[in-house]
Amino acid sequence: MRFFVSPDPWTDRARPPVRWFLVFAAVLVGALAAQRALAGGLTPAGVAAFYLGPDGSEPLAAVALWEEVHVNAFLYGFLLFVVGSLLAVSPVSPRVRAALLWGGSIAALADLFAPFAVVAAGGAGAIRVATFTGTILFLACGVGVAFARFGAPGRARG
Amino acid sequence: MADARLVPFRAPAASFCAFLAIQAVSAAVLFALKLGGTPARVQEFYLGSEATFAAPKTIEGLLETAVPHLVAVPLVLFIAAHLVGFAGLLRRRVFGLLCGASFAAALAGVLASFAVRFVWPALSVVKLGAFLALEATLLAWIALLGLTFATPRRSTARASGATPAVTATPAHRSAR
Repeated sequence: MRFFVSPDPWTDRARPPVRWFLVFAAVLVGALAAQRALAGGLTPAGVAAFYLGPDGSEPLAAVALWEEVHVNAFLYGFLLFVVGSLLAVSPVSPRVRAALLWGGSIAALADLFAPFAVVAAGGAGAIRVATFTGTILFLACGVGVAFARFGAPGRARG
Repeated sequence: MADARLVPFRAPAASFCAFLAIQAVSAAVLFALKLGGTPARVQEFYLGSEATFAAPKTIEGLLETAVPHLVAVPLVLFIAAHLVGFAGLLRRRVFGLLCGASFAAALAGVLASFAVRFVWPALSVVKLGAFLALEATLLAWIALLGLTFATPRRSTARASGATPAVTATPAHRSAR
């Protein structure tokens, strides 16, 4: 936090580690998308098969659904907090900053609980595809904008 | 707000609080579904049960759960404590006690899993107590984060720019 609230000369010093962290964050977001795609999570049929079983008669247990919520809440929450904090001290338009943080947060919250909707509806895998795609896009844009703008010349806070 | 320099971080902190609350709730649900709410059920979870055809937990299985928690829980607690500590909302002693209670409960919870399985099953009481203590401290951190970022600013003059307030930080003084 001191790193962030300190004046501009400190921001220069903060830029290299921040940018390297964001490289890893970008790789993480890409890996998440690849992992989900390989598990069939980017098609409605694949999502339905994962949560309801191949013939739709073996839905995942509540424990499995909550475990997914528990793990992803940490991942999304941590990433959004760090990226949101970096955007807060970067010369970025307040509208873009708010859109990336709140868009990402809402999409991620929807993605956390979408599996419950898929199981309850006995299908509707498109819901999870939409929430995951939205989350990944917001996260990727947030990471990209933070990478480009953190420590860049301009008004830092707004 | 206790420190005007935290104003720009209000939105990320609110988002962090929301996800922290979901983590706490999902942890409670998972504990109730998997381990149950009594020491006897906790023992059964780790030692196995012929009645439910549940096998005893292996060291590999326990480590599979312990390792990610040893990374994630201290990191989350560190972030929450760091933000609250930076704002100076609590007295030093109270802050230290809350930090100690949080980290100790988290560590005791992880270690108690191994202790129940391999040392003494009656330590399931410790496992249960540690989990309840960690949940309580998480709720306390969420409430404190809410207070830190939601209360009115103490000084509007400091909110207009970070530089004057930064001069008060020891790290910045030593760098000059």
